[in-house]
Order: sequence, then structure tokens, then C-alpha cells
Amino acid sequence: MNPIAKARLFDCSAAFAHPVTLGVTIALIVVLALSPVVIWALTRAGYIGPNLRTELARRYWSWLVIVPLLLVPILLGAFWTIVGIGILSLLCYREYARATGLFREKLLSLVLVAGIVGLTLATVDNWYRLFVALTPLTVAALASVALLTDRPQGYIQRVGLAVLGFLLFGTAFAHLAWFANDGNYRPYLILIILSVEANDVFAFCCGKLFGRRKLAPHVSPNKTVAGAVGAVMLTTLLVVTVGWLLFPAEVISTHGVSRLQELRYLTVFGGLISVLGQFGDLMLSAIKRDIGIKDMGVVIPGHGGLLDRFDSLILVAPAAFHFANYIAGIGVNQPVKIFTGGGS
Amino acid sequence: MNAWKIVPAADLGHSETARCSAMRRECGLISTAMHAVTWSMGKAYLLLWHRLKIEGAENLPIEPPFVMVANHCSHLDALVLGAALPERLRDVVFPLAAGDVFFSSSCRAICAAKMLNALPMWRKRCGAHALADLRLRLLKEPCAFILFPEGGRSRDGRMMSFKPGIGMLVAGTKVPVVPCFIEGAYHALRPGRFVPGRVPLRLRVGPPLMFADVTNEREGWNLVARKVRIAVERLGDITDRAPQTANCPPGT
Repeated sequence: MNPIAKARLFDCSAAFAHPVTLGVTIALIVVLALSPVVIWALTRAGYIGPNLRTELARRYWSWLVIVPLLLVPILLGAFWTIVGIGILSLLCYREYARATGLFREKLLSLVLVAGIVGLTLATVDNWYRLFVALTPLTVAALASVALLTDRPQGYIQRVGLAVLGFLLFGTAFAHLAWFANDGNYRPYLILIILSVEANDVFAFCCGKLFGRRKLAPHVSPNKTVAGAVGAVMLTTLLVVTVGWLLFPAEVISTHGVSRLQELRYLTVFGGLISVLGQFGDLMLSAIKRDIGIKDMGVVIPGHGGLLDRFDSLILVAPAAFHFANYIAGIGVNQPVKIFTGGGS
Repeated sequence: MNAWKIVPAADLGHSETARCSAMRRECGLISTAMHAVTWSMGKAYLLLWHRLKIEGAENLPIEPPFVMVANHCSHLDALVLGAALPERLRDVVFPLAAGDVFFSSSCRAICAAKMLNALPMWRKRCGAHALADLRLRLLKEPCAFILFPEGGRSRDGRMMSFKPGIGMLVAGTKVPVVPCFIEGAYHALRPGRFVPGRVPLRLRVGPPLMFADVTNEREGWNLVARKVRIAVERLGDITDRAPQTANCPPGT
């Protein structure tokens, strides 16, 4: 195996070489360590009641599991990152399938799972042509396999649900995984995931403080225009700050970080993440309301299902990938077709 | 164009372990794969080690719903009945297993649900509503149950009386009950033993019984239990008259 690819995929010795990785990791550890103290202090001071305290404690314990599950694979290496996102895709699809009833269509589910596994393998292999080909091929396979049962009733709905599921939880998530084929994948992924999660918090806080007009009262009654606008501003600021302040000149020269660090691009990048993060959130709310359920699952106490937590990432991933790829190039100078043999 | 209706899984909202013990559990892709592996391996084991012979398989209904009942002497019994069923029914056939044995811990519940597709039957606290739920499922869904109406494994190999639960499931419905008799299982793996002996097994499947005209009340339930037991006993009598086989004799 090419030593550059091997180092990127499996070597964790340089996990903290980049200041963004180190800075954010330390910040997350500090936040996780201080949160119980803050909750305790607020409870003692009488700012939060016992119900809210219980809810906060439950969410805290969830974050205590989620953060290492997200962070450790990224620190360990690109291979674990890609495999981790692949598993997340499969679990998210599972929730979607059980919520929509698509899981009863075993053949469609099998093809869809095979498509997600294929995307993960293509990503690990850094084989972009296969990666691109898998989406239309899987859609074609879904449309074909649905015919095998010789049941025309509901064909459009079955295939439509399956294609939507594959595009959202297969193709979209795979774009997040593809970031791991860049030499600087750790700061990229940390920046995206951090800003998407922060985006939710910003929207919540701004909405609570300034929110009056509802954003989409039928889809999600708790979201406000002020929350959405505030989130766009603060998330953009966060992305620009993290991307700008934590990428000083010597880092750019050492790590070859490129044009994405320019203020104008970072601003657009931040805006994209915020707007599409909120659309992702609304999209899942619409799906849940359409089905008539409150949560997609019960995997994460205080949050619901995995999709209830990671819905904001779904639409962000492909847009962030193509923007960064267009402006800076993702995976430039990295060996391709690592396991299947050289070429392009 | 209205053929597809979005219907979430009946067990949506349950945790992973709670889903395994849920009466309204529905199989996904992983469960389907695990059922296929388990039942195939089980059937191969029964054919190779116990030289299982199945008689009267033509009596099995082609499509669910139906209830398979048999005498119960051994943990092998559910596998034996499952071996008689076609592969395409694996996800819709639910063995009703003792909750206090097969669902007593999360680990056991996951194994019973994912591998055998078993549903829990809590013997000490099996209320009427649990059987009513099962009855409703039998009527609404294309599903089938494997049930041992004795309520537990016979300790001496003799068939015990049948509990009226079978009647609560099918009385007043058109759901067929398929009586079966398993021979040899007591000597192969009797209660208290953990290693099965190499004893030949024979499964005799009888013609289905219908109880559409039986009232759905205690009297009717008892009548169903008695009739089904007689049918199973007769299958045992036939087997008993056959030479070189005299295991698990019919009861009192």
C-alpha cells in the first residue's frame, strides 16, 4: 500500500498535528468536563427546575457518548472515519425504513444497503469514478428490483421512498465520508460537524431570546425566523473564526491548506452549512409530521433517534463537499484506487 | 395509486432490547438474515444428526394465518416444527416461547427474537389481553404461530392436558390449527439434559382443524383445547403403532 495512503488511513500518531484538531478536541473536553458543574451551579442558584435539570443531565450523558463516537474515529485515521460514517448511514437508513415501513420491502432494503456499503468501499479506496457511478446505478437497481415482485400497486411509492432514502442516507452521508480522502480531513470534518451542531444550538438560543415570528409553523412550530437568521450569522461567524484564526500562515504553508481560508469563501462556506443545516432539520420534521411520529427512534436518550440528532448533517454534507472541492480541491495529491490498484 | 400507505413499524419507539420482547415485533433485514441462517442450520442439524422424518407435510396450509400445535417434551420441538415449514414463511412464523425461560434477560431475548423469531408467552402473568393481542395479530396480519398448548415441557414424556389458550387464539375464527406429533424428542433432549442424544426424530403433521363455529368464551376455549389434544393424541397413536418407535407416549 502506498505509504501516504497508509498514513492517512491508519496512522493516528499525527492526530493532533493540526491546530484545529488539537484546539477543538481540547475545547470539547473542557466543555464536557465543565457542563455538569454549570448544570449543578444553575440548579443551586435556582435558574433551572428539577425537570429541566433531569432533561439536561440526560442530554449531557448522551453527548458524553456521542462526542467520543464522533471524535475518536476521526483521530484514529481516515479508514475508521469512513467506516464510522458508513455505519452511521446504515443505522440512519434503518431508522428511516422502520419509520416509513420501507423495511417490509426486503429486496429494496437489500439493494439499498448494498449501495451504501459500495459507497463506503469506494470511499475507502478513494475511487471517485466508482463513487459517482454508484448513485445512478443503485437507483437503477432499486427501480429494477422493485419489479421482481410483480406488484404494480404502490410501485412509485416504494421506489420513491427507497430512492429518497438512498440519496439522503447513502449518497449524502458518503460525501461527508469522502472528506476523509483529503490530507487535511481532520480539521475539515471537525469544522463541519462542530459548526452543524453549533448551528442547532445557535438557532435554539436566538429563537428563545428574540424569536417571535414562526419560521414554518406547520412543519416545526418551535422554529422562528429570528432563530434561523441568528443561526446563520453566528454559524458563519464560527466557521470564519475557526477557519481563519486557527489557520495561521505557518499552518497554511505546513499543511498546504488552500484558498478555502480566504474570508469570502469561508463566509459562503459558513452560510451554506447554516442554511442547509436548518433545512435538514426542517426536512426531518416534515418527514416525521407526514408519518405522524414524534421521534425516529430511542437510541439517544433526550434526543430520540440517530436521525433526530444528525438530520442537520444530511443536506450539508454534499453541498460542503462540492463547495470545498470546487474551491480548494478535496484529496488533491492523495493516491487513488488504493486497494483496487493504481489508475484514476 | 393508493396501494402504498406509510405504516411505521408496529414496534417503533421501543429500545433495541424492548423490541425483541415486544408482541408486535416486525422483522427487518438483519432479523430475516438471522432467521434464514438459524432455521437452515437447525434443519440441517435435525436431518443429519437426528435423521428427522416429516410425514403429512402436505397438510400444512400454503399461506398464513395458521397455528401449529404439538406435544412438547424438549427444546428441540420448535426447531422440528420449523423444519417442516417452507423458507418463505420464516419471517411470519412466530414460535410462542416461555417468557421466563427465553426472554428472562436481554441477551436471551435478543437471541430468541433474532434467531428463532420467538414471541414471549409469560406463563405466570399471561393475561387475557396478551392472547387477545396475538389473536388480533393472527387475524389482521398474514402470520402463523408455533404453539405448545401443554404450557411447558413434559417432564416424563407423557402428553399433559392442553391449556385453553389455544382456544382463545382461534375460537370463532377461520384460522386453521395444524395438529402435529413429535416423536423421539423426549429421548433426544429431555428436560434437564443439555446435550442432545443421537435419537431419530419423526414429525407427523395432521389435517388442519377449524373452529369457526365455536364460541369465543371459556367453554369454547376448553372445547378447542380438548379437540386439538385429541387430534395430536391420534397422531401419536398412529406413530406408536409403527414399529421401532415408541417415544414420548400420549398422555393420560
